[in-house]
Amino acid sequence: MHTRGLPLKKLGLVIGDWRDLERLFKYLKDSGYRIIGPKVDGNVIKLKELKSLREFPKQISDHQAPGYYRLEEGDFFRNGDDSPKKYLFPPKMEIFKVNRDLSISFREIEKVKIAFFGIKSCDTASITIMDKVLGERGDSFYKHFRKELFIVTENCIKPGENCFCSSMGTGPRVQSGFDISFTRIDGKILFEAGSERGVKILEKLKLPHANAKLKKKFIEVLEKAAEKAKANFEKRFLAEKLELAIESPIWKELAEKCLGCGNCTMVCPTCFCFDIYDEVFLDEYSKRVRYWDSCFTYKHAEVAGGHFRPELWARYRQWLLHKFSYWKRQFDMLGCVGCGRCITWCPVGIDIRKAVEKVLKWVDENVR
Amino acid sequence: MNIKLAVFKFASCDGCQLQILNMEDEILQLTGKIEIAYFMEATSRKLEEPYDIALVEGSISTKWQEKHIEKIRANSKYLIAIGACATAGGIQALRNWSKNEDYSKKVYPKPEWIDTLAESKPISDYVNVDYEVRGCPVNKDQLLWILSQLIIGKEPFTPTHSLCIQCKIEGNTCIMVADGKPCLGPITMAGCGALCPKYNRGCYGCFGPMDASQAEKLAEHFINMGMSKREVTLMFKGFTSWSKPFRKVVSKYGGDED
Repeated sequence: MHTRGLPLKKLGLVIGDWRDLERLFKYLKDSGYRIIGPKVDGNVIKLKELKSLREFPKQISDHQAPGYYRLEEGDFFRNGDDSPKKYLFPPKMEIFKVNRDLSISFREIEKVKIAFFGIKSCDTASITIMDKVLGERGDSFYKHFRKELFIVTENCIKPGENCFCSSMGTGPRVQSGFDISFTRIDGKILFEAGSERGVKILEKLKLPHANAKLKKKFIEVLEKAAEKAKANFEKRFLAEKLELAIESPIWKELAEKCLGCGNCTMVCPTCFCFDIYDEVFLDEYSKRVRYWDSCFTYKHAEVAGGHFRPELWARYRQWLLHKFSYWKRQFDMLGCVGCGRCITWCPVGIDIRKAVEKVLKWVDENVR
Repeated sequence: MNIKLAVFKFASCDGCQLQILNMEDEILQLTGKIEIAYFMEATSRKLEEPYDIALVEGSISTKWQEKHIEKIRANSKYLIAIGACATAGGIQALRNWSKNEDYSKKVYPKPEWIDTLAESKPISDYVNVDYEVRGCPVNKDQLLWILSQLIIGKEPFTPTHSLCIQCKIEGNTCIMVADGKPCLGPITMAGCGALCPKYNRGCYGCFGPMDASQAEKLAEHFINMGMSKREVTLMFKGFTSWSKPFRKVVSKYGGDED
């Protein structure tokens, strides 16, 4: 599935080099886009505004393992602790102000065209998920930021240790939800368009078509990458199978190390819980502010007169089953893109792949 | 009518009260809405009881204080404990693991003059506390936030989740994952502004345990990371060591150590 081409105007794969990527970057910049892409920030790669493609971490690699992240010299990086979510669904955002005379001023939203440049396939898929979760459900802020979004995806030729996009069907080759993709192969850059406007821009770059040999290499490299980015489970019937374990005692075991800190949900590119606070400024106004929230916090499922999930294992179960199971009924897709961030950024290194495997094993052994 | 605010001090360093004076610009928001009824660090003028809001700094560590806090409680509509001493027993609660006499003999020429309780304990161990503002010292913005909410007649609210959530919202990189440094953030309550991790230093838990804090599990993880029991004990044996979750860790890994 990951080698399926895109039939748009039969443009297919075109070939260029790093300078052509710079031309694409400049074209988008000159067209008024604020370009957001990966950039080294201290000891991590973050998604930040790129003024020039020189800021793109070309010679950097991120070594990721459960609860472990280090940057080192290399030729390919995966991702950092933030994701496109940060821009489409900001971590803290004023919604409106209530003035002293009780009039309400809505926040002026900055008119800005964002282009994500060099995000990976998993993160591109996360935007498709967020479109469904926040966009289709009418989050006007999300829609505002999303409206003019341009997406340039880098196909992932070297997935990391925590990556499992291949099992989630979201990578390593980008399938949909992008405008232009690029792939670093043998010192060349292969471009592909994923949308009509992507085709138009690529045509402007006037690049030659890739020959059969290079196309073969392209497929080989991405198939190899796909093999690497696999977890030991299949996406097929995953939602249905996992749900059968809802009453299982295994959740207590799985959450044994969990601290309930919520890091996994913060770094997850599709976790969308938020809370709303009223911040009072005497003599001035009161601000209604939206903050990211997490289903791991004790208060998340606390309601007047009781609590749905007072035990931490129940909160762990809620998170895992929501991502891999309930999401399907809710949004007709799964909530996990296999980017591995929750594994890397868990301070105690809990591996969601292993947790899913264990639940599936429990189902196989206990449910007839 | 103005709200009568009183500020009291028990066993403490005055640092939290000082945060009120440190408000400088922000304190103007409060003038005209509150009246200082008792605040020895700022003015020697006293107003009659009762008080609308009593801010209480410090831990209870003498018999006189036990009685005094009850009187304050009886005379105040809202009692707010401020700072690590008032909410967890403070740094002076380190003595709760040893005998007072041992210290007083070494420190004072006439140790028999020293009259303290065996333990330094938080205000909530003695009286009902309406709200707690954590930290060593408290964060003045959070203190102002709570006062502002009370003044306007809104139920005061502050987050009770982990510091990690605040770090992620602020865009800080996790120093445990990216640097391999131990950090108490995953089990400590947010509210400080994630100051230490912002400067690449592990959280040392001055805000005390968050809701449902998994301090013992984090301590176990530190041991697995290769830290000694003594190192782990010292991490938890700080400003909020007497809070229940931290106390358990200290007792488990080295309660009898100095």
